[in-house]
Amino acid sequence: MSLDVARLWNDFPDLLPEPLSRARGATAYRLKLPSFPWGRDFSWAELVLPHGFPDHAVAKIMLSPDAVLRIPHVEYSGALCIEGDPGPGCGYSANDRALLLLLAYQERFLGPWLAGDLDGDFSTEPLNYWYIEVEKARSRADPVRAVWTIDECPPRPQVREGLLLLPSRIVIAGDRDMPITGRTINSLGAARASQQIRVLIADIPLSHPLTPATWPRTASDLDQLLNGRLRPAQRVSFRHPLRQRGGSVHRIVLLRHGTCAFAYLLPGGPATVIELERGKKTYPPRSGPLPLRVHRLDPAWTVGRDQHPEVAHRQTQHVLVLGAGALGSPVVEHLAKAGVGYITLVDGDNLAPANIGRHLLGADAIGQDKADAVARRVNASQPASHVTPIVMNAGKWLDSNTLAGVDLVLDLTGEHDVRWQVEQARRLHPCPLLIGWMEPYVAAAHVCSLMSDTSWLQGTEDLMGKLGAVDWPDDVIRQEPGCSSRFQSYTAAAAAYAVALVAENALKMLDGAVVEPRVVSWVRGQRYLNDQRSDLALRDWAATAATHDGLLIERAFP
Amino acid sequence: MPPSKNADLVLNAERRRRVRLMEAVASLRKGTALESYHDQMKALGPWALELNYVNQHITVPQEQIDDAAKAYHSVARRLVTELKWPDDAIKVLPQGSASTQTLIRSPDRSKFDVDAVCQVDLNRIAAREPIAFFDEVGDALEPLDPTRKNRCWNVDVTGDPFYLEFTPSVPLDTVPGVALESMARQYTPVEQYRSTALAVVDNRTRQWKTSNPEGMTKWVNDVAQLQLIRIVALESATALDKSLSIEPVPNQEVEIIDTLKVAIRLFKRHRDMCVYRQTIDKEFKPISIIIVTLLTSCYAGLADLGRTYGHPVELLADLADLLPGMVLELNGKYRVDNPTVEGENFAERWNMDEGERYEAFETWCDILAADMRTILAATDPQVIRERVRSVFGCGGNTSGSGGASGSGGSGNQQPTRRPPPPPPKTTGLA
Repeated sequence: MSLDVARLWNDFPDLLPEPLSRARGATAYRLKLPSFPWGRDFSWAELVLPHGFPDHAVAKIMLSPDAVLRIPHVEYSGALCIEGDPGPGCGYSANDRALLLLLAYQERFLGPWLAGDLDGDFSTEPLNYWYIEVEKARSRADPVRAVWTIDECPPRPQVREGLLLLPSRIVIAGDRDMPITGRTINSLGAARASQQIRVLIADIPLSHPLTPATWPRTASDLDQLLNGRLRPAQRVSFRHPLRQRGGSVHRIVLLRHGTCAFAYLLPGGPATVIELERGKKTYPPRSGPLPLRVHRLDPAWTVGRDQHPEVAHRQTQHVLVLGAGALGSPVVEHLAKAGVGYITLVDGDNLAPANIGRHLLGADAIGQDKADAVARRVNASQPASHVTPIVMNAGKWLDSNTLAGVDLVLDLTGEHDVRWQVEQARRLHPCPLLIGWMEPYVAAAHVCSLMSDTSWLQGTEDLMGKLGAVDWPDDVIRQEPGCSSRFQSYTAAAAAYAVALVAENALKMLDGAVVEPRVVSWVRGQRYLNDQRSDLALRDWAATAATHDGLLIERAFP
Repeated sequence: MPPSKNADLVLNAERRRRVRLMEAVASLRKGTALESYHDQMKALGPWALELNYVNQHITVPQEQIDDAAKAYHSVARRLVTELKWPDDAIKVLPQGSASTQTLIRSPDRSKFDVDAVCQVDLNRIAAREPIAFFDEVGDALEPLDPTRKNRCWNVDVTGDPFYLEFTPSVPLDTVPGVALESMARQYTPVEQYRSTALAVVDNRTRQWKTSNPEGMTKWVNDVAQLQLIRIVALESATALDKSLSIEPVPNQEVEIIDTLKVAIRLFKRHRDMCVYRQTIDKEFKPISIIIVTLLTSCYAGLADLGRTYGHPVELLADLADLLPGMVLELNGKYRVDNPTVEGENFAERWNMDEGERYEAFETWCDILAADMRTILAATDPQVIRERVRSVFGCGGNTSGSGGASGSGGSGNQQPTRRPPPPPPKTTGLA
């Protein structure tokens, strides 16, 4: 049912019933404004019913452009960001929906705004307002589009260098010699970072986020802030940077607080050359400051959302991963995503078509060395980590290398010989070891977490068979997992449980959360086994999983 | 020969001053025959009215102050009950800004501190050792979950807009003789304020330390009484408003005549705005006691030198102007002496931070002077209003803390019908 304006006016006398046409078929009705105290005025407010209201659209309140960034909860378009119209499908008539919105406008916005109760609300979502400020100032001639930070906010203001990457016009706020700088540039690829230009950055910590009420608006405001926050020597080096070959340098003020960061490109700097479809165009230096978005790419944020202090430690860790198969390849990606700083990946195979259903890599990597291709992929997408590929059979690599400098070994090859060789290497360089493997059909997966002083081999006995969850009939091709068994048809989804088990336990070891050797097993229930074959049964120790879809069982290492 | 230490400091500050805001004020009055107070007010009225507006805006509402007083009396009663001290062995007094009417609201609506001294007669209680005494008070406050600070217990009263800073103290003369002697080598009470001198516990050194909040309050209040404005007969602000055709400010009392306290309040607000806008680092901001001491010394020095001013705005401008030069620099060390405790330097930390705090102080003084200059450079009352309110963060788009001064109200007419509210929305995690 459509809106009965006369009735709505009767219910809400501040609505002016004359309809006004708005863009895209919308209809608007002005609202009577109160007498404003000083500084709290805005020119107009409207109830806007978009085309499609009430069946396919919701009504909204729009405020005049002078309210944007001056009054909280107003979007760039002028739309007031309040929940009011419950929308179609809630059992309300069009009139009731519009009336609910008008009541919300009056009681949750206008009254509180006039009383000063919304004045602190800019600080509840400062970045939203900053993005409006950035959007307002944006033009095609901007020398810089965004700033990416790759380390944590410094405790004290500092003047540092950064790199402007062209043609993407992204500034990396990091010195060239920081490894993560190179990795981040690598992630962008040649299409976005074919050229690097040095810029100067005043990197200033904030004690609280900026808001439209407090952020600098003019070059003079910024100057005042720089005067107040930089030490005298820093001011000199920032204001009069040493120029390379006589050219001028872009200068950026970066203001950081926890998850909120703000940046300005200062006026001046070199001219900007923009590549257009038909050649290049040169724009003169800006005459005013340019507000910029800042994206955090430091591991504390990308990996841990600032809630995992252990990320800093992981960044220093070196993990050796043996095997880049269906288990090893996604585990490497998980470790990189979790912020492990250095990963060496050893595997001599190349990718076959049969692998791509359950491997990290896909058809685009068929025929490529797995270690190389996995490293390329992870390095390009996860700058918090660096993967070094070794295209060599793990056993062969262990013949000629030691574990010196390795903080954790993950043996995901499932190969007896490799396990034996790892043990020999650990005798020379004691090192924590995690052995992970899957049983056929991923009916079970196991992780053995061993401290530096715990051996996997007990005498000459290899425990892998003993630790299994299922007594496999002889006709199940039970080559060691990791080999290209053709008959274990399992999905990547089934393997994902095993991947998560290995990755999570590896991280626990790195984080120091594992204090004694243990075995953790993921065991699928009887129904899953029956789906594979009718003659499979769980061993006694694993029988508790029978009635479940799957169960995690932890045991002491024998 | 200058008549006093403060006068000497003022003369020194006058030699060091970099700007002359007074000249800006003088130029505003050019061509006006300022023979009466009314003339003065008319010439400088728009500034006075706006600065006074700010002064009102930053005032902590009296009911909140009353609530704070009730809260700290309740804490004092708790101490008496818990510690089984005689009722008359404990006295609770406000100190700091709460006692000098210079307590102000914060720009970000964070809680304000209400400082109270909990003064205990050591002769009446068992404690003698400073840390044991401090801990005993802390134990009694335990249900309030107090936070230990160097000299006080901080109590966050849930739901109230303030913290209580409770400083356990004893009258200096009740401190045992041996302990008193070891203190005396460092800090001694200025004789004039001897009767109110206290010993508080310094957790860093685990010793008693001389303090004199009551003396400090008395000093500020005494100096504020000195009259530097030439014409003291205050005419009706209402009449003034009428003559200027300017909207009346909410509070009709032109308190700007109490220029020292207004200066302390406005300058503290300006400092807070600089921190809020992050032009100075929160960690290194000039602390209130330094601002109070420098301004009061300056005011006292000007009085000692016989200086007078035609209008409070002139005096405010001069105080802003002289402020940075009031810091004493002796043998490469900055000094802001506690006027009530001999040997205590409020700026001690300025000498231990590679100049960070002093630079922040200088920056703040520069911004203050520049802002005052910008305000005084305007002549249109509307522009003056915008500049003053913007600089001090009062109201509307530049507001730091809330509180509209206008009539408010949410509209013109009330709705006549109200549909039932929709149920709350639930969202999943994506």
